[in-house]
Amino acid sequence: MRKFLTAFLIYGLPLPLLLYSLTVGPSQGLHFADYWDWGRAALAGNVDESSTKLFMINNIIENVRLPRVLLTFIIGAGLASSGGALQGIFRNPLVDPYVLGISSGSAFGAALAIAFPFININLAAFALGIVSVILTYSFAFSNKSASIVAVILSGMIVSGIFTASLTVVQYISDPYKLQAIVQWTMGNLHHASWDKLNTAALPVGAGIGGMCLMRWRLNLLALGEEEAKAVGVNPTADKAILVCLATLTTSTSVAAAGVISMYGLFIPHLTRMLVGPDNRRAMPANIFFGGSFLVIIDNFSRSLMEFEIPIGIFTMLLGAPFFLFLMKKSKINWV
Amino acid sequence: MTEAAIEVKGLSFGYGQTPVLEEVSVAFPANRFSVLLGRNGSGKSTLFNIVAGLQKYKKGSVKLMGKERSNMSFSDCARVLGFLPQFHKSVFPFQVKDVVLTGRAAFSVFSPGKSDREKVVQAIEELGISHLADRPYTELSGGEQQLVMIARVLVQHPRIILLDEPTNHLDVYYQTYVLEKLKKLTENNLTVIAIMHDPNMAFLYADQCYFMKNRTVVMPSIEPDNHADTFLEYVYDVRFTTVMVNNKLMVVPKV
Repeated sequence: MRKFLTAFLIYGLPLPLLLYSLTVGPSQGLHFADYWDWGRAALAGNVDESSTKLFMINNIIENVRLPRVLLTFIIGAGLASSGGALQGIFRNPLVDPYVLGISSGSAFGAALAIAFPFININLAAFALGIVSVILTYSFAFSNKSASIVAVILSGMIVSGIFTASLTVVQYISDPYKLQAIVQWTMGNLHHASWDKLNTAALPVGAGIGGMCLMRWRLNLLALGEEEAKAVGVNPTADKAILVCLATLTTSTSVAAAGVISMYGLFIPHLTRMLVGPDNRRAMPANIFFGGSFLVIIDNFSRSLMEFEIPIGIFTMLLGAPFFLFLMKKSKINWV
Repeated sequence: MTEAAIEVKGLSFGYGQTPVLEEVSVAFPANRFSVLLGRNGSGKSTLFNIVAGLQKYKKGSVKLMGKERSNMSFSDCARVLGFLPQFHKSVFPFQVKDVVLTGRAAFSVFSPGKSDREKVVQAIEELGISHLADRPYTELSGGEQQLVMIARVLVQHPRIILLDEPTNHLDVYYQTYVLEKLKKLTENNLTVIAIMHDPNMAFLYADQCYFMKNRTVVMPSIEPDNHADTFLEYVYDVRFTTVMVNNKLMVVPKV
C-alpha cells in the first residue's frame, strides 16, 4: 500500500497537478465552471472566439499559465535532480547547487548579462556556474583529496565572492536594471514565457537526461573514490561529466528563473525518505516529485497573497525549517 | 612451485622525495592464501595500491597473471584483480545488495542486468550473509560491513583479490570467520593476498607469509624453526617468545 502511494505521489501526481495549476491564479471572477467550458471547447478544437470570457481564459492559459507551469516543472525537476546528483558525487547530503556556489556564480553571470545586455544571459550564467564549481573544488583540494567540510567551506567562500560581485553590479546598475536584478535574485517565475521555456527546455532536458542515464554510476560514486577504483572504475571522468550536467541544469534554471534557494537540497532528502537512497529509483523520483513540488509551491506563491511572493523566498522559508528538522532528527550524517 | 599470480620485480616508489618502496621483488603464488606482514609504514599498503593500480609506478615491473600492470586498462584490471581498500564508510544508507551490485560497475556501465544481480546473490550466499541483503549498509556492525565489502569484490569474479587489513577492527569471531572464508575462496581457483597485523592469525590461516621491513620485502616465507623468533624480532623490533601450537608457530611479545 505504501509502495502504491509512493508511486502515485511521484508518477501519478504530475499530470493532474499540472492541469489543476492552469486554473490557479490571481484573476478574479473566473470559476471552475468557466475552465470546464474552456477545457471542453479546447478539446473539441474550436474555442469560440466570440465569447470574451472563453477568449480571455484561452489567452491566459495559453500565453501565461501554460508556459509558466511547464517552466516551473522543468526547473523544479532540474534543481532537484542536480541536487541529488551533487549529493551523491560529493558523498555529502548537505551539498546542493547553492552550497557549491553554482547558484551564486550563475546569478552573478546573469546579473552581468542584465546590466550589460550584449552578453547572452544563458551563456554567462553557465560559464560562471562552471567557474564557481571549479573554484570551489580547487580551493577545497589539499593533499589530493577534498574533504566534505573543506568543500562546504570553500563553497561558502566562492558564494561570498560572487554574491559580493553581484552587489557591485547592482550598485553600478541604473534603477531600472537594478529592479530587474533584485527581483531576479529572489527567484521569479512571473516572467515565464514560451520564449524562456524554449531556451531552457533543451539544456535542462539534456542535463536531466544525462544524469538519469548515469544514475546507477552515481551509486558507485557515492560509495567513495577508492571504492570505485577498487572495482575497476576510474571515477574522475564520471564525476566530471555529472558535475558538468548538474551545472548545465542549474545554471540554465538560474538564468531562466533566478535563484531558487534550498530547493536542490531538501527535495533529494524527501525523495530518499520516500524511495530510499538507491539512485536508480531516487533520480526519477527527484525529477518527477521535484517538478511537481515546485509547481505546488508556485501555486501558493501566486495565490496566497494579493501580490506574488517570489518563489526563492518561499523555498527558503520552507527549506530552512525542514533543514533544521533534519539536523535535529540527525538524519544528516555529518562526517 | 605453482605459477605466480603476481610478480613484482625491482619496484621502487616514493611520494615526492620520500622513498616508500625500494627494490621490492616478490612473487605471490596462484590459488593460495598469502599474507603480507610488517610494521606500520613499512610500505605494505603502498605496495598493494600499486599492484591494484591506485598508484602509478615508474621503476620496476608488476605483472598480474603474466601481464604488465601499467599496460592494463582499469576494466582489464578489474577482470583479473579485486581490491578491498582499508577504510570504507558510506554516507547514504544503501541496501547491502545495492552496495554489492556496484562491484559490477566495470562491466555493466549504465544499468546492471539480470546476470549481475545473480552474481550478487551468489556472492552474498558464498559469504553467508544472505540475511543482510535488504539491510542498510550503514546500520551493520564492522564485521558485517567487512563481509559486504568482500562480497562486493567477489562479484567482479576476479582471479586475484587483495585485501588491505581485512580483519582490522573485527572481534575474534569475525576475524576467524573472515579468514576461514578467505581461505575457502582459494579452493575455487582464487588467489587471496591480505595485509595483516597479527602474526599469529596469519600463521594460523595463511599458506604463505611475507614480511616487509625498511621499504622492501625481506624474506619470502618463514619456516617454524628456531631462527623464527630472531627473524620476527628483526621485522617487528619487539622481543618475542615462540611456542608451537598444533604444529603452528605462535609468538608472544616478551614482557
